[in-house]
Amino acid sequence: MKEIAYFPGCTHLHTASHFERSALSVFEALGWRLVEKFNWICCGTVHGLSTDNLMQNVSAVRNLARAESAGARRIVTNCAMCYNTLKQANEMVKRDEDALKNLNEFMDDEPDYRGGVEVLHSLQLLREIGLDEIEKRVVKPLEGLRVAPYYGCLLLRPREVAIDNPERPKIMDEVLKAIGAEIVRDARLKYCCGSYHTVDRKEIVLSRIDEIISAVRRRGADLIAVACPLCEFNLDKRQKFLNKGGLPVLYFTQLIALAFGKEEDCLFEKHHVDPRPLLKERGLLR
Amino acid sequence: MLELIDGYPKYMRESIEKVEETREERLKTSVPPMSAEEREKILKKFHPDYREDSRRRLRVGPNAGDLVYHEVADILEARPLVDPKEIDLSTVDYEVDVLIIGGGGAGTVAAIFAYYEGISPENILIATKLRHGDANSMMAEGGIQCADSEDDSPVLHFIDTIGGGHFANKPELVKALVFDAPLILRWHEELGVMYDRNDTGHFIENPGGGTCRKRLHSAKDYTGMEIMRVIRDEARNIGIPVLEFSPAIELLTDESGAVSGALLMNLETNEYIVVRSKATVLATGGFGRLHLQGYPTTNHYGATADGLVLAYRVGAKLRDMETAQYHPTGAAYPEAIVGQLITEKVRGMGAMPVNAEGEAFVYPLEPRDVESAAIIRECYERGKGVKTPTGMVGVWLDTPMIDEIHGEGTIRKHFSAIWRLVARFGIDITKDPILVFPTLHYQNGGVEIDENGWTGIEGLFAGGEVTGGVHGKNRLMGNSLLDYNVFGRRAGISAARHAKRSSFRELTLRHVERFNRMLDEAGLKEDKRAPILLPDYRGERVLARSLKIRI
Amino acid sequence: MIKMEERMVRIYVMGKEYRVPAGLTILKATEYAGYRFIRGCGCRGGFCGACGTLYRKEGDYKLYTALACQTIVEDGMYLVQLPFVPAPKAIYDIEKLKPFGEVVLSFYPEVARCVGCNTCTKTCPQEIEVMEFIQAVKRGDLERASELSFDCIQCGLCAARCPAEIKHYHVAQLVRRLYGKYLAKHSEPLKKRLREIEKSSYEKEVDELMRMSQEDLKRIYYSREIKV
Repeated sequence: MKEIAYFPGCTHLHTASHFERSALSVFEALGWRLVEKFNWICCGTVHGLSTDNLMQNVSAVRNLARAESAGARRIVTNCAMCYNTLKQANEMVKRDEDALKNLNEFMDDEPDYRGGVEVLHSLQLLREIGLDEIEKRVVKPLEGLRVAPYYGCLLLRPREVAIDNPERPKIMDEVLKAIGAEIVRDARLKYCCGSYHTVDRKEIVLSRIDEIISAVRRRGADLIAVACPLCEFNLDKRQKFLNKGGLPVLYFTQLIALAFGKEEDCLFEKHHVDPRPLLKERGLLR
Repeated sequence: MLELIDGYPKYMRESIEKVEETREERLKTSVPPMSAEEREKILKKFHPDYREDSRRRLRVGPNAGDLVYHEVADILEARPLVDPKEIDLSTVDYEVDVLIIGGGGAGTVAAIFAYYEGISPENILIATKLRHGDANSMMAEGGIQCADSEDDSPVLHFIDTIGGGHFANKPELVKALVFDAPLILRWHEELGVMYDRNDTGHFIENPGGGTCRKRLHSAKDYTGMEIMRVIRDEARNIGIPVLEFSPAIELLTDESGAVSGALLMNLETNEYIVVRSKATVLATGGFGRLHLQGYPTTNHYGATADGLVLAYRVGAKLRDMETAQYHPTGAAYPEAIVGQLITEKVRGMGAMPVNAEGEAFVYPLEPRDVESAAIIRECYERGKGVKTPTGMVGVWLDTPMIDEIHGEGTIRKHFSAIWRLVARFGIDITKDPILVFPTLHYQNGGVEIDENGWTGIEGLFAGGEVTGGVHGKNRLMGNSLLDYNVFGRRAGISAARHAKRSSFRELTLRHVERFNRMLDEAGLKEDKRAPILLPDYRGERVLARSLKIRI
Repeated sequence: MIKMEERMVRIYVMGKEYRVPAGLTILKATEYAGYRFIRGCGCRGGFCGACGTLYRKEGDYKLYTALACQTIVEDGMYLVQLPFVPAPKAIYDIEKLKPFGEVVLSFYPEVARCVGCNTCTKTCPQEIEVMEFIQAVKRGDLERASELSFDCIQCGLCAARCPAEIKHYHVAQLVRRLYGKYLAKHSEPLKKRLREIEKSSYEKEVDELMRMSQEDLKRIYYSREIKV
């Protein structure tokens, strides 16, 4: 069993527990254990919206410092939001020595961060493990299932932190193909889901998801795969207000876990649009 | 400067080594409890309650002729703070159904239960001297008694309480105390008080001095704080108004002598405030800050027995005031924390008092007065105490025994308050014992009440430490938190019921004028004033040069 | 009166110099200097949070916090008390709440603004890991949040210093009540005893004791079996 330091992120402890459970299950099947090696705190995404350009990095850099002093050289996270926040801060302090010095001085109660940690999204770890390895573990290929991989913003923007070509991302497509799914493509799969406007301006989110869902539906998608708890919330839970008949939205890790025969780790009941009737109809679920 | 090794000077370390040498042996044996005769003997000889020169007979008032501590007599025989002629009672600032004087545990519980009994929050008023919750209730460490385990019963709780109180308790109050205990604990559970529990959800219970069963429920060693902050939070949610920094300086009465309100004082602006109420609850706490006999105290800054003075002047009867509780284990070192409480739970979980030679000399769980007397004897008759650099004498409380008995980590988990208290001075109680000596802790007696919290004066109810009768002449550990909950509740309910069937009365200070005349007739001419409201700890040099000029 | 150490130190109470004996707590030293407290002094034992104090030391850029009753004066301390922190608490009916992190956030949404700066933890005179507790709330882990915040004496110093304007001690109070009420298991033996008392099971026995002579009571007391 190989190990890597793991950053769950706050949502993984409640609203996105199905993301975590399925992801840990998938990696374990692939011979990797994701371990919480350091006392992590919120990645700091919320104050990414703040105007103080240094303060907004404290939370992220504190995590990196803690990871580094726990001996971790790489940390992996499932959440696209956490990935983006941690990675952007990491790149910034590697670029800007003064900023790092200031942040270290501010966090005088933590050991200094020296920039020795690499931030990975779990899709990158899967690609590193190899599509062959994934294919080998498949016991129930998702044949005939038309999946639209939704990347959203955070895995691809800004360009310096993109986990793949930001214009033509393929990383999730490839992983899903490896487990037998058929891929549905559309430019709108790189659109923003409306993000935190879900709190104060729900109508923005509803117009975005309506556009995205209608587009992939026209192209014959059975469901959407996501890699971010906020995208999942907006695309799945907010469908309640669309009144258009539901299109299931699943974490990519749930689909892999299903293909690996780990139904019990998928927690499909946690979705607003229940994917189980569809999966049963396709013979993928008992 | 004295050189310290892990918090202690070298000569004290030598004594600690002796304590360490005997520890293993002491873990296997214990001094047996004293017999009735032994108890009586040691109390008579060593307890401050029995000293001839500590007390005198009251010369005026409902308890004239009774023996009380000098410091108590001083305030009961003192002149009022205000001249009735200078107060205009015609303008009423607050008019409420239930006025509660005191914002500690008893007052807060009384207010909540007056509300439960149907009085709307805006018709209740808590007036308190400091902040809401500033009280001894906040400081209780060890726990609260409740006979709820299989092998325990309210009957045993009753017997323990009466025996601990030297059979002087008012039995109907003790009955109420022990029978209401489970109801109170259940109420706390429903409010969300975080008691220490085992895996089944039942409470982790410890023995206390003078209890025949493990009956002490605790929340680490912050039990009082945990209960107080939860009930305060509840009172705030209900919306009960609180006037902070506004102590009562007199009760108000009508023609017939019934209590009809109170005169408060805003401590920050010095103005008086007139409150008219249909029922009044006295919940002002005890007298630790009177420093009886010069003893240090565990008590809160505001524990100056104001309620006794107020009640005495309207004719309420006091009882059991010839005694005081000295907690056996107040800190005796370092100087900065002298007198502060080292909870009895420390002994309940196995730590033993040990003399300078490392010898055990008393059963660790005697009732508090007996335990205190034994420590005083050890220090002053047998000369086996340890003298601190500032001249205090104390005995060791062998805290490392707790981890030896219950496993490493127990102290940190169950005694985080005490651990922190002395760790600030470089002492680690998991490794070293702490030096202790009795400290003034509790007012055993007080205003006499019946089982409904009524004082016998129309319109006046009372609960908590200000009252007398529940504990007789010595309170058991864990019965004070219980007392304020049980009798705070009963007083609150009684006051609410009384308010519902009463109307507002006339406001006068006639009882104060009457009291002044009584003092004159008794020939008491000294210009002592009470209630004293706050103790004065200013430096001697400053006081000597203090000018009495008003700005 | 106990003799103090002879050595004197200089302290500055709100900028004004006083000479006080070494070894005193900030509280006692300020009193020695001539102040008589109305606010800023409570239990004098570290439980009530009335005497929160801010100070700096000569030649040191840091702002320190302490409880005046629990901290010994040092030479060259610049002191000011913070006896009150404006921090309104949320009003709720505990009976109507559910024990979830979202519920806490709905009353105290500013929790989500925590930037992880850790100032609260550095401020806490009880050495509570305040930021970790806020993080636990963010994750919805109310059990951990309750444990971490348990020793809080509600002095409010954290709330006074927080750049995200969180009222940590009020948040903690709500969290602990939710935990104590809904998540902690409650006692079955207690409920059983309550039912027994409602049925007056012990009434007769106690009434008999109340009628007994003191001699008989004493006999019973001194011969009772002690099982501790």
